[in-house]
Amino acid sequence: MAMFDKHKSSKQPPQREEEPMVTRQAPSPSAPPTTSTPSKVAMVGDGISITGDVNANSNLKVEGRIEGRAVSSSQDIEVAESGVIKASITAKVVRIAGAVAGDITGSEKVIISSSGRVQGNIVAPRVQLDDGALFRGSIDMNPAEPAQASKPAAAKPAAEARPASPAPKPAQANKPSAPGAKKEPGLTLKSG
Amino acid sequence: MSLAARKLSVSVTSRRTGPIIARHQSKLLAGLFPRVGPEHRLTVLEIGPALPETVEFFSQFRCRLHFLDLYDEPFLRDQQNELSEKELRHRFEEQFAFPEGSQLDICLFGDFLSFLNDRALRAFNSALRPWIHPETRAHGFGVHHLAVKLEHHQYGIIDRDNLSIRSRHSDTMTYHPHSQVEMADMLNCFAFARGLLLPSGKLEMMLKPKAV
Repeated sequence: MAMFDKHKSSKQPPQREEEPMVTRQAPSPSAPPTTSTPSKVAMVGDGISITGDVNANSNLKVEGRIEGRAVSSSQDIEVAESGVIKASITAKVVRIAGAVAGDITGSEKVIISSSGRVQGNIVAPRVQLDDGALFRGSIDMNPAEPAQASKPAAAKPAAEARPASPAPKPAQANKPSAPGAKKEPGLTLKSG
Repeated sequence: MSLAARKLSVSVTSRRTGPIIARHQSKLLAGLFPRVGPEHRLTVLEIGPALPETVEFFSQFRCRLHFLDLYDEPFLRDQQNELSEKELRHRFEEQFAFPEGSQLDICLFGDFLSFLNDRALRAFNSALRPWIHPETRAHGFGVHHLAVKLEHHQYGIIDRDNLSIRSRHSDTMTYHPHSQVEMADMLNCFAFARGLLLPSGKLEMMLKPKAV
């Protein structure tokens, strides 16, 4: 390795290894670039496994695996194609391209994309299922009013969820089970 | 895909359905929604996978949709001819684990009834009976003899008058034709509200609970 390294500039920063959980400034994918406001995204990276509850005060993207009782965010949750969640999920908008076993509450919308696989019950004002998505369970829709995070069907995750507030306190990470996981603002882990 | 994801995908084992291959203009479907206003909350049972157009259609209503894809259930696919009616009824009852107090307003059977033998059809009827009420309406298709070829299709609701037809990517189950009289006898919690013989030889059915 050293014989290759010697050609590198000494000023070059070391190549970043896998960063399991980071908080990033990322533009909202749905908003046009000119008007988008960067928003924080907490991330559970591919290859990372967490056993316990996760509570985020920012958007949360899951590329790894979470197994517990509740995964919640006061913003949006995205389960990437490689992501697996075995827990109930509560957020404003929930997008699923990976696999979920658990009930899902979206106060605005739940979207299961074509690669998504969901086993559980969904409560949301609007639910979008893309062609090819696999879903087993029930869907509770009420287009007239946003789903309440405190509905009985989602009582457990709602109890864990922190509703959006004007000045949310930065959350402290508890004891993550994943080696290498570190405390990040806006993300709370509770080991199960 | 990770091993865990693969394991999970197996548990969500609905077979993937293909793209929409045809539409069926239905003269009976609109009869499912005669008294449905925006304030009404619908409870719907679909025997089949959740399809995008069905979810989209029902998103205009306050509703609870129960998707039960029974086509690949081993007790029907592999054991239907061995199990007794009582055993079949128990299996159906396990599947119909709706929240207590639920009452189904709409049942969407698709072709499902034609994949049930006589015992299974009676068992299905017995297990479903507690969940229906006098205003329940059901829609489905039947075949009354083996000369009618039953493709393995899934139906989605595009609007009140149109169904989508998709191919189902799984082995075709054995189908069991029932005449309208046989069907009415075995599915005896329902009575035929309307039946329409289609050019394909299938019978499109609108069912309502039998008056007791």
